[in-house]
Amino acid sequence: MNKGVCFKVVLVCVLTSIIFTGCKRPGKKGAGLGSGIDGRVTAVTPVGGYGEEGGPGSFGMGEERDRFGNRVDSEHENVYFAYDSSQIAAGERYKADSIAQVMQDSPGMRLEIEGHSDERGSREYNLTLGESRALAVRQYLIDVGVESERIQTKSYGEENPAEFGHDEEAYRLNRRAKFQLFE
Amino acid sequence: MRKSFVSVGALSIFTVLGLGNYGAAQVHISDRGSGKTGLDLSRFKSDSSKASSEFLQVLKTDLTRSGWFAFTSAGSGVALKGGCKNSGNQISVDCAVQQRGRGTLLNRNYKSAATDVRRLAHQVADAIVKAVTGNHGMASARLVMVGTRSGKKELYVADSDGQGLKQMTQDNSVSVAPKWGPNNQIVYTSYLKGYPDVYLVDILTGGRDRISSHAGLNTGADISPDGRDIVLILSKDGNPELYVKNLRTKKLVRITNTPGAAEASPSWAPDGNRIVYVCDSSGRPNLYTTSRQGVRGKRITSSGSENVSPDWGPNNRIVYCTRSGREYRIAVFDAGTRASAMISPADGADYEDPSWAPDGRHVACTRTVNHKAQVYILDTKGDEPIALTNYRGDWYSPSWSP
Repeated sequence: MNKGVCFKVVLVCVLTSIIFTGCKRPGKKGAGLGSGIDGRVTAVTPVGGYGEEGGPGSFGMGEERDRFGNRVDSEHENVYFAYDSSQIAAGERYKADSIAQVMQDSPGMRLEIEGHSDERGSREYNLTLGESRALAVRQYLIDVGVESERIQTKSYGEENPAEFGHDEEAYRLNRRAKFQLFE
Repeated sequence: MRKSFVSVGALSIFTVLGLGNYGAAQVHISDRGSGKTGLDLSRFKSDSSKASSEFLQVLKTDLTRSGWFAFTSAGSGVALKGGCKNSGNQISVDCAVQQRGRGTLLNRNYKSAATDVRRLAHQVADAIVKAVTGNHGMASARLVMVGTRSGKKELYVADSDGQGLKQMTQDNSVSVAPKWGPNNQIVYTSYLKGYPDVYLVDILTGGRDRISSHAGLNTGADISPDGRDIVLILSKDGNPELYVKNLRTKKLVRITNTPGAAEASPSWAPDGNRIVYVCDSSGRPNLYTTSRQGVRGKRITSSGSENVSPDWGPNNRIVYCTRSGREYRIAVFDAGTRASAMISPADGADYEDPSWAPDGRHVACTRTVNHKAQVYILDTKGDEPIALTNYRGDWYSPSWSP
């Protein structure tokens, strides 16, 4: 287990260094996905890689209970994001590391990452932005060794704010990825 | 209520947007100021019934809102002749439209049940607009939008004048981004089953199907003009990308492949081949066009810090929301001339979520002031914005029926 994680960490480092030198796009932000480390694209791991839509034995579809089982009542720190960004800031990584540790310690756990935005701007774009944030965290967890099939994403965009104010502090707290564990 | 031509002209709200390398035309010549045609209603005779009065009142409002007419006294412009009679449960309208130099442009009888008098007035208003200007009207069209009156984000349908409001969903969930397509079908995103999935509602039967429910995000659906396909955003392959799905065969074709960027808000061109959408590959959301075969997207916006929510309408024009400074405003991009023009006033309010009316002249949108949202109708030729909703709660994301 430890060996496997080590190998993956080394692999990520190698990949990252290749990407840093090989595919640097000036002015590129970490939009989209797989922007696990410093916003550079590391990989894109399919979300629906466990069965096609509505197909037989399609784990991961349908309602929450079908996808995951039962909610675990546990509290985890949200990962917060800058305006219109899905980059995981250096100071936020420890939160993702912490949930990665939980996932590695409890192989039966599954994880749903909710992606949220603040209320400014287009609702449709914010749905995509929320998904990009959740997927960036998902990719980060995959890169440090959590199996992709244990993690799903769910974007709420601006539709489900944690704070109902209309000031910068409320906006900051709403731009978040939130963790929900299942077993 | 009566407006003079001069005051309408003075209400011009067009400005020029710099288009940098992306716009061929540096100077935009707006199509406002084409003036209004005088319309004389003095020879249209109605009986004194309640239904007839309502008919006349709705007809006048519709003709004013159409933007093409100003009411005048006898002798000039277009004359409406005939009348409106209510007998029993029926209402009957004789409608003759004559214009000096052009003769009789319309001469028809319209009938309906007295209870349908508003719908009948909308029909007659559109017929008059068509006969005089050759353009489609918007009076008979309807809109779908999201309202929060119940405390939840449900879909509502209203007539073009905001009347006849009906709650369409009672999901007790979150409804997002409804789009009204051909064949009386509406697509939208709902968390009904806990996840953002795409649903299709048949307005006539009330039937509803969940038509996309992959893991991850399913959203942004828009029905193609021929009603056969939807374009939508899915993240099942690890990143939000654009896909086209055939509604009958369910066959899915991926259109974009942008691992470092995300797509949103696709909208079909009237030709059913091209698609306009939002992509943030430049670092900020901008509008791009592509074809359903998925050629590399071509960027069409450069001004403003955000360009979002495009709707590709009749006349090959794309209406969208642009952020400049702190405000969100509505602009129109002409895909032929590549010129952009602002159509929402700079009044401190935010204008978002634009949707073309079927007349190709008006745009419904969300207007937000002090964090309260209502639906407004903007005129691309310069008439003042009209409030469509003035209800409790927030009202937003309007989409016109074709």
